[in-house]
Amino acid sequence: MLEAHDLTRRYGDFTAVDDISFTVGEGEILGMLGPNGAGKTTTIRMLTGFLPPTRGEVRVAGHDLASEPLRARRQIGYLPENVALYPEMRVEEYLAYRARLEGLGRAEAKRAIGEVNERCLIEEVRRQIIGTLSKGFRQRVGLAAAILHQPRVLVLDEPTVGLDPKQIIAIRELIRELGQAHTLLLSTHILPEVELLCQRVIIIDRGRIVDQGTPDSLHERWRGNSLVRLALKGDPADGEEQIRRLPGVLAVRRDPAVAGRYAVEGGREADLREPLFRLAVERGWVLLELAEERASLEDIFVRLTTRDVVAEGAVDEPREETVAAAAGGPEAAARPAEPAGGEEVPS
Amino acid sequence: MRGLLATMGRELRGYFVSPLGWVVATGFLFFHGLSFQTIVDYLNDPRAPAAMTPLDFFFGGTLFYWLALLFVAPVLTMRLLSEERKTGTIEMLLTAPVTEGQVVLGKYFGALVFYLFLWLPTVIYALLLARHLPLDWGPVAASYLGTLGIGALFLAVGTFTSALTRNQVVAAVGSFALMFLLFLPAFLEFLVNDPAIRDAVQYLNLYQHMDEFSKGIVDSRRLVYYVSVSALFLFLTSRALAANKGR
Repeated sequence: MLEAHDLTRRYGDFTAVDDISFTVGEGEILGMLGPNGAGKTTTIRMLTGFLPPTRGEVRVAGHDLASEPLRARRQIGYLPENVALYPEMRVEEYLAYRARLEGLGRAEAKRAIGEVNERCLIEEVRRQIIGTLSKGFRQRVGLAAAILHQPRVLVLDEPTVGLDPKQIIAIRELIRELGQAHTLLLSTHILPEVELLCQRVIIIDRGRIVDQGTPDSLHERWRGNSLVRLALKGDPADGEEQIRRLPGVLAVRRDPAVAGRYAVEGGREADLREPLFRLAVERGWVLLELAEERASLEDIFVRLTTRDVVAEGAVDEPREETVAAAAGGPEAAARPAEPAGGEEVPS
Repeated sequence: MRGLLATMGRELRGYFVSPLGWVVATGFLFFHGLSFQTIVDYLNDPRAPAAMTPLDFFFGGTLFYWLALLFVAPVLTMRLLSEERKTGTIEMLLTAPVTEGQVVLGKYFGALVFYLFLWLPTVIYALLLARHLPLDWGPVAASYLGTLGIGALFLAVGTFTSALTRNQVVAAVGSFALMFLLFLPAFLEFLVNDPAIRDAVQYLNLYQHMDEFSKGIVDSRRLVYYVSVSALFLFLTSRALAANKGR
């Protein structure tokens, strides 16, 4: 539905986007993930026809963007990174203007506006002047305008940036809903967003695609060694020593902050929870906590987009890589636990 | 065509809902009212030249006319494209299924229609005169035609400079300079001895053009000049817009 072939954009000597190719299938939600400055917006601008590529081509619903620009653009709904609206216009005037630009007739436009008002929940601000709207509402007006003409492809560039948490949840809800009717390309640097919304992810860094796949397959590929978090009541004296002796254990680290807490690292495929449980029963330790930890997409992302760690052989030789990464001190090890951190502290 | 009408409608509406449009309209009418009043007072004096009619003076015969034109055209056009580029709305406009040409023409005609709206109330002056003396409507119509032509030319220049920058002030100053350049032959004519060059300068002398129009002479060469140069500037505008894409 949306195809990019060998897209390249240079600014003088600087290559902002370097030979990016991908396709978004009909009805698919593709996430484009990358740190700020990775080339996401440049790529999106080339996809939507705002920026002519130095090299490469874009096809939208079968139409070549360079040779049939109007037909291709008609199939795209686009929410730019900084949703720019005309501050002096009323919401409904703006939508009517956009409908006319998209070539909708009067009756058609009226029906479409009514529909997007409802879908994007902007009915209440219909008569309001855009300059007075909150950022969340502005984002919704931008989205409403992007879907007015029922495009087959929807391109959203950082749709939740600058919103408060409540607004973010609402916009995500809306995006999920839109994903059912449209082919969707979502660019973001916020990881949970991708894990939440997207069926497939491409990770972009420095203008190149560094990896792609489903969130699950990325987990699978990049998860590294297994890690189990363990908390023992009273911090038995020989605890660390005993755990280290268990078959399959590669490393044991004490939590320097809380006595009796350990991070136990095993092989890539190992599940150390059972041996640890049996050991605890055997020694009579009281087990307060026992949890397997998986590398979140966030860890994968950080590793992929942090220079030195991304080595060509990273997939083939995960051990050294991950040991090195896991040994990055308590900070590195603690990061995956952060979402649940609040619950863990009392123990 | 729809894209053209959509941008034109929005632009035109923009003049009427923004203070700028009304400030310009007020100043414009004040100046022209003053101009008309002064002209009528002047011609009421027995010492005034008998061959001149008030509208002769009113259309291009005074500095009022040219100052107003040289001031109004940059102000009406300065934000047309520069503001869209500054706020980023240009991204939406250029990714919509409309061509750059439609966008440029839509904006240009929006400005042109508002320009005509500015002139509309001055028809009252002609009507006032017609109540008191026999008025030949031919020269009046020709004067408005010339005013439209020169306005169209200046507004095209302003649209062009507006596409070159994000800064409205720079756009306005740039278009003022270009318009002044186009008006320059009016000064040069007296400084040229070579007859061939003088002919060429005369062809471009806008002051001279308006003098003819106000006497009811419609020379199609003038109209060709306005239309072709306007078209050239509008073409350059759409090229500039395309070249600045993504920036």
